[in-house]
Amino acid sequence: MSALDYAAHTIAQKVNAGELSAVEVLEDALARIEQVEGRHGALDYGELTDEDRKKVHAFITLTQDRAYAQARQVDALVSAGKLAGPLAGVPLSIKDIFCVKDTPSTAASRILSNFVAPYTATAVERLESAGALTLGKVNLDEFTHGSSTESSAFQPSTRNPWDPDRVPGGSSGGSAASVAAGEVMLSLGTDTAGSIRQPAAFCGVVGLKPTYGRVSRYGLIAFGSSLDCPGSVARDVRDAALMLGVMAGADPRDSTASLHPVPDYLAILSEGVKGLRIGLSPDYMQIAFPDPQTGALIRQELPAEIRNATLRAAEALADQGAEIVEGVPMPNMVYGIPAYFVVSRVEAASNLHRFDGVKYGYRTSSEFRDLHEMYRKTRAEGFGLQPKLRILMGMYVSAAQYSEQYYQRALRVRSMIRADFESAFDSGGAYRLDALLTPTTPTTAFKIADIYGDSVLMQYADQLTVPANHAGIPGISIPAGLDGDGLPIGIQLLAPDFGEEMLLRVGYAFEQATADAAWRKQKPQVLR
Amino acid sequence: MTEYETVIGLETHIQLNTETKIFCACKADSWEDPPNTNICPVCAGLPGVLPVLNEAVVRKGALLAAAMHSEFRLKSFFDRKNYFYPDLPKGYQISQYDMALGNGGYLDLPMPDGSIRHVGITKLHMEEDAGKTKYENGRRYVDFNRCGVPLVEMVTEPDLRSADEAAQYLIRLRQLLRWLGISEADMEKGHLRCDANVSIRPVGSTVLNTKTEIKNVNSIEAVRTAIIKEVERQVELVESGGRVEAWTLDWDDTHHRLTKMRSKETEADYRYFREPDLLPLELDEAWREGVLADLPELPLERRARFLQDYDLPEYDADILTADRPISDYFEAAVAAYAGDPKVVSNWIMNEILRMLNEQGISADQLLLKPDQLAAVIRMVDSGTINNATGKALLSKVQQTGKSPLEIVDAEGLAQLSDDAALQSVIDQVLAAHPDEVMSFRSGKEGLFGWFMGQVMRETRGKADPQLTKQLLLDALSKRD
Amino acid sequence: MTDEIFPELFERLVDLAAFAFDPAEAEYLRQELNNQLKAIHQLEAVPLADDVPLASHGVGYPPQSRPELRKDLWVPFENPDEILAQAPQVEDRYLVVPDIPHTKLD
Repeated sequence: MSALDYAAHTIAQKVNAGELSAVEVLEDALARIEQVEGRHGALDYGELTDEDRKKVHAFITLTQDRAYAQARQVDALVSAGKLAGPLAGVPLSIKDIFCVKDTPSTAASRILSNFVAPYTATAVERLESAGALTLGKVNLDEFTHGSSTESSAFQPSTRNPWDPDRVPGGSSGGSAASVAAGEVMLSLGTDTAGSIRQPAAFCGVVGLKPTYGRVSRYGLIAFGSSLDCPGSVARDVRDAALMLGVMAGADPRDSTASLHPVPDYLAILSEGVKGLRIGLSPDYMQIAFPDPQTGALIRQELPAEIRNATLRAAEALADQGAEIVEGVPMPNMVYGIPAYFVVSRVEAASNLHRFDGVKYGYRTSSEFRDLHEMYRKTRAEGFGLQPKLRILMGMYVSAAQYSEQYYQRALRVRSMIRADFESAFDSGGAYRLDALLTPTTPTTAFKIADIYGDSVLMQYADQLTVPANHAGIPGISIPAGLDGDGLPIGIQLLAPDFGEEMLLRVGYAFEQATADAAWRKQKPQVLR
Repeated sequence: MTEYETVIGLETHIQLNTETKIFCACKADSWEDPPNTNICPVCAGLPGVLPVLNEAVVRKGALLAAAMHSEFRLKSFFDRKNYFYPDLPKGYQISQYDMALGNGGYLDLPMPDGSIRHVGITKLHMEEDAGKTKYENGRRYVDFNRCGVPLVEMVTEPDLRSADEAAQYLIRLRQLLRWLGISEADMEKGHLRCDANVSIRPVGSTVLNTKTEIKNVNSIEAVRTAIIKEVERQVELVESGGRVEAWTLDWDDTHHRLTKMRSKETEADYRYFREPDLLPLELDEAWREGVLADLPELPLERRARFLQDYDLPEYDADILTADRPISDYFEAAVAAYAGDPKVVSNWIMNEILRMLNEQGISADQLLLKPDQLAAVIRMVDSGTINNATGKALLSKVQQTGKSPLEIVDAEGLAQLSDDAALQSVIDQVLAAHPDEVMSFRSGKEGLFGWFMGQVMRETRGKADPQLTKQLLLDALSKRD
Repeated sequence: MTDEIFPELFERLVDLAAFAFDPAEAEYLRQELNNQLKAIHQLEAVPLADDVPLASHGVGYPPQSRPELRKDLWVPFENPDEILAQAPQVEDRYLVVPDIPHTKLD
């Protein structure tokens, strides 16, 4: 049995107890990676082979030496009779959007392909201090711009361990896949419109987006500064809770990191859901896609299997004593994607201004006459299609003459989206919800190359997750079954600000209630 | 011929003298440092970094706002100003756009002719500085040491009406900044930078015509000269039927001329939006009261008070309120002296200022304390020592730190005012120089000073000058 | 129906963003942007009362949750040279870039 078949909390326990050595765990992880990974994403990848098509390709950079040094240190502490931390010996992957000192920190972009970070992100620092073993940096959509990981400049991009012809979701595709394939136990991802929750749903793992400001963003290469949230990708809810507890909390290097106290997330986990009010909203039980000609929203039914999984989850929770509150109106959630198209792009265009070939990263190797030409060539060659789209749109909707019509309007629509949640969660309101239950995604994992190229359709993959980013509230996706193609279905829980405890508690109850479900016994294709 | 009026608005950038930069913990002052040594991931604009606001910047900014009679907002916002330039590592500057720390304000400028020019302030906000680039051999060399240094940008209404007024504004502003202790305000070191917006119009018109912007002026004198030249150019242009265009002009200090910089075809669109990495800056009433309590009597207010309460001439009042230390020193000395403030003023302007200059220190660094100065003046008043001795005594106190009385006693500096003793010295001197006596009596009256000098020498400077003069005159006028 | 971002406007955006594209890439990007704009126009359907505020952040920061301002104390970064080492071109500790096109007309 591989150590990688234990949950993270079990590994930490065993390592701290001296039953398992961190080096052993590391070697199991490396063996697993050897088994399922295939070649890592790279800039000059040549042609895709048949072999490539069967592998996961979660990593861009394996940081084996770093992990060994960490493992030896953990084992030394334990031998000396000391505790090596709540994540002692737990294999961890880091979405390559985080700066980790002395590692290539690429954002999956050519423009940072040669950038070696001189400092480490706070969230990573905390995880490493807790004894985790950093196996490496995993793949993502370039600068987190996407919902499939396909836009990475480092190819082959990650494939879904459940069906390698399909995407793992994005932008934290490498994170979700590396956990699902059992290459690591935990992964640090980021969620800006659903980039943790959606891939978690596609890959059958747990993905937690904390409240905005719950986890420090220092060291996170920014996309949407008012939307980005570092979060946990894990095998189960307890592991997600464990990881959050290590990372969460104030940081003097992040002015938006809240001072809100960090509770013991493990303490309430098994409190159950008796008496909790869990809502269902008709607005989340259908999906919408814009008409390619007119842009008008065409509403559709959710795929039956996703709908049923969500309703069955409600039943399971009701069986455990929760009160299911139906018909909760969330009328503004349908504007989540349009508003996101505006707000995130304005922030992205600005955040990506710094990539200019002057101080770090890629500089064009072709001839240039002057500075402006150097800027243009560097940026045109260094950025892929997705960042280019976001930058151009950002320039447009924040331009002086259009800003009020687009950017300012979008920020006001954001208030409306937030207001929907405030009403739903208001303890003196009509619904008084403790949590809202929704499906995580409008579809299960789609095939590679199916959607890429249609930027609108791709963005709409996030329609059920993005409202939480606008509102800043926390959300979690947990596995809730498999569809007819054997692909994972995820359900989402949303809670008020700093309601991570509630999400974890309800998620845990659901996990326990479905512990013996047949679908839990299935393994991803790459592990069969 | 039309009479033209000059219309000037000044945009100043003030470097605050905090210990650290505005958004990171690097030093604010790195004037002497080798390039790219005073940097960190934050001010170098590395991927993934975030700004963290320095509370001293807010305090000093608020103090300035209060001193400029600007209302400071209890809730203000930072905004991003986006543009590409190699000295701007993030590709945007964190500044304040429409909801800045300060709202409105003014400075009442006293002019040498006695009039007051009321100068309105339209903008008073905090922002971060960019780095420095130098041009050499067709390439640019960039140094980030200065990135993130805290600046306050202050923009006046177009209320100034001459190059002299503009210079006066800068002089007063510099004085105020040093007075408040928020900036060294040294233009040559870039602590205070100024761009001038200049336009002309016929006298009597209230229309604001197209203005040009003058940049790269590194001293108050350069501002004055550049404005004069630009006004000349505009008048000549308009008189010959031309039209002033909204050019940006670069001042060349070596050749004393203005050259047109690349004109912006379209106004740069900075796409300002609220800085999402910073929360709105929220200050409470208690904090505001604290800042107002810290506000000292301002230099112009004090100047007015000196004119009124001490009945000093404007010349004196200006010198004695040039900086806070000398001004505090003067007041302390006046209080200790308890006599005519003008007397104290004279001693300070003549002796103390020279001492400060020679030693390169400020009045609060003197060993010679205000009450000691007062004591020396009183000794001269009462004739205990003469004027010359008094002046020398000041230096001695400054050098040794001993009290004036101690030194006078120890060195026996008390003035010789004894009639008989003086008379005997005078007789000795006259007896020793019969030829000179004869010359004097034959009409060479200039020798009187020489005789005074001889008596002073004999008495080692202690002779009471008035008495000596009188006795010597008597002695020399006597005919044997 | 004309595209909202017509070719000349697109070129201006490309200029603002310091890019340069070949015609095929330019056209693809322009089409995608216009498609996205159709979705963005959905925002006009939202009835916004005058008092609906702009939300720069979704979550609120009550006074007790707001981080304090930083104290004015110097903490030098341990290794500025590592930052400099990332630059494409360095000379005598300066970052080197080509000159800016500057038309100085008199």
